[in-house]
Amino acid sequence: MSDDAKNGGDGALGEARSTIARQAAEIARLQRQMADARFADELRQALILSATAGTIASPVTHSRLLQMIVETAAHVISARAGSLFLIDEETQELVFEVALGQKAEEVKKFRVPLGHGIAGLVAVSGQPMAISDAQSDTRQASDIAQQIDYAPQSILCVPLFYNDQIMGVLELLDKEGAPSFSPEDMDALSLFGNQAAIAIEQSRTQGNLAALLGEVLESLTGVSDAQKQWLQERAAAFATAIERENPVYRQALELAQVVQEIVSQGDAETKLCQTILRGVAEYTRARRQSTDGLGDFS
Amino acid sequence: MQRRPAYSSPFAPEALQSVSSIPHMDDITPEWAWGGSTGQGVKVAVIDSGIDASHPAVGGVSGYVDITDGPDGLVYDTEPHADSYGHGTACAGIIRAVAPDCELYSVKVLGPNLSGRGNVFAAGLRWTIDHGMQACNLSLGTTKRDFFAMLHELADLAYFRNVMLVTAANNMPVPSFPSVYASVIAVASHHEKDPYLFYYNPEPPVEFGAPGIDVRVAWKDNGYVTSTGNSYAAPHITGIVAKILGKHPGLTLFQMKVVLRALAANVAHSL
Repeated sequence: MSDDAKNGGDGALGEARSTIARQAAEIARLQRQMADARFADELRQALILSATAGTIASPVTHSRLLQMIVETAAHVISARAGSLFLIDEETQELVFEVALGQKAEEVKKFRVPLGHGIAGLVAVSGQPMAISDAQSDTRQASDIAQQIDYAPQSILCVPLFYNDQIMGVLELLDKEGAPSFSPEDMDALSLFGNQAAIAIEQSRTQGNLAALLGEVLESLTGVSDAQKQWLQERAAAFATAIERENPVYRQALELAQVVQEIVSQGDAETKLCQTILRGVAEYTRARRQSTDGLGDFS
Repeated sequence: MQRRPAYSSPFAPEALQSVSSIPHMDDITPEWAWGGSTGQGVKVAVIDSGIDASHPAVGGVSGYVDITDGPDGLVYDTEPHADSYGHGTACAGIIRAVAPDCELYSVKVLGPNLSGRGNVFAAGLRWTIDHGMQACNLSLGTTKRDFFAMLHELADLAYFRNVMLVTAANNMPVPSFPSVYASVIAVASHHEKDPYLFYYNPEPPVEFGAPGIDVRVAWKDNGYVTSTGNSYAAPHITGIVAKILGKHPGLTLFQMKVVLRALAANVAHSL
């Protein structure tokens, strides 16, 4: 990463960076409280914040978000290297999206068939795996490590689940200060992976929506160029409004993210959420009507 | 002939079968349970990623089936196969170490294909029930609720046929099937290294704890790795179950749970 990017090349990116810096301090504090029962909840908050910062403030949302997820995970769990793969359903391969660490650039080129290695096993079994062994050659456990001649001492790999489907895996290499990743690390990274998957799906959906909107605009053949341009400008203005500090859109987006997170927890949670939100909506409608009604009589 | 309600004929005086007893719980000792047994003659299925029979820790596989989801339905290939990941070999090696003479059967359901995996998994379980296996290691499961009923039915069928399903609990705090059913022996991990040391948990669904943290296990390419997961705790219990069945072949699953509970390291025995 260039220094320019580190320092924040523009305002939005700079803001995202400063958010990450604040979170890094917060995460360092959290790290000291690993055993604390509130840890998981606070970690979730930190990730939701970073996801929100990523989707709203930064124009390079998707890849930046993935990068932030691996950076945060490696930082929290104290790993020397890390990577994130997403599944390409068509080719049945794992595609490297992010790689951190010494050999990151070499690793980033790879696509890995699902039939091999720790990442492949985690993707097909849906189970997290921790592997370590200083004596034996752990390269055999990791195709990528083998190909770039990097022998990690320890590996921790968790699935990224969204709606019961595995979308990819998050892998950390080489635990700092210990020969292996602990069961607590496995728990923390699994929880983190669940939240990361939600954030990735949100970002992906947003990207898909933008692409869909573009295609719809392109398909409007019967419309004049002027009208098309007007539509495109309106769409661009809408997107900009979301990206900028428009508090209404921002709050709505944050609310949507909270709802999406609840929905991903299951049917019971979804129903509870619907009941509560409908209740609130009915109450506000009723209140508005009664205020309007009073207005009629006055 | 006297009429009886449905399902009641086994309890007619002329039909009533005499069954053997097991000792009082406090009299059950490791010596009684598996002393002298090597698991010989006990068929143990490992439903997993395959088993590498050439690995020195495995020492031979008695039978194979590789189940895949083909365009015309499920395909059952009974030719010998390998283990592309190492996970099934790891489980087989642990079972072999505890029950050196048991007959291992590799039921391969975990391959590179993501599609149809739930059905392939269920087919593996059904194959195990239909092919006379007495114990079965399941260090995998599914969290998909769509398969809850199908797997529940198969787990019950296994229980009725006396096929002892030993399942690893999920490594994430989400229920996975069939590990949460009462008809299986569900296992999670403790830190100790003694393969014969296990604990009983009075608050199911996970009833037993066995070594599963930083366990040195067989892996692919004749290698070994140190790994952590409930996947490795389950085969310790599977090995012990095979050993007990080698000595007491007629035990039912509920009797097996009684024996295991009696031998758990955290049971306070009355003197």
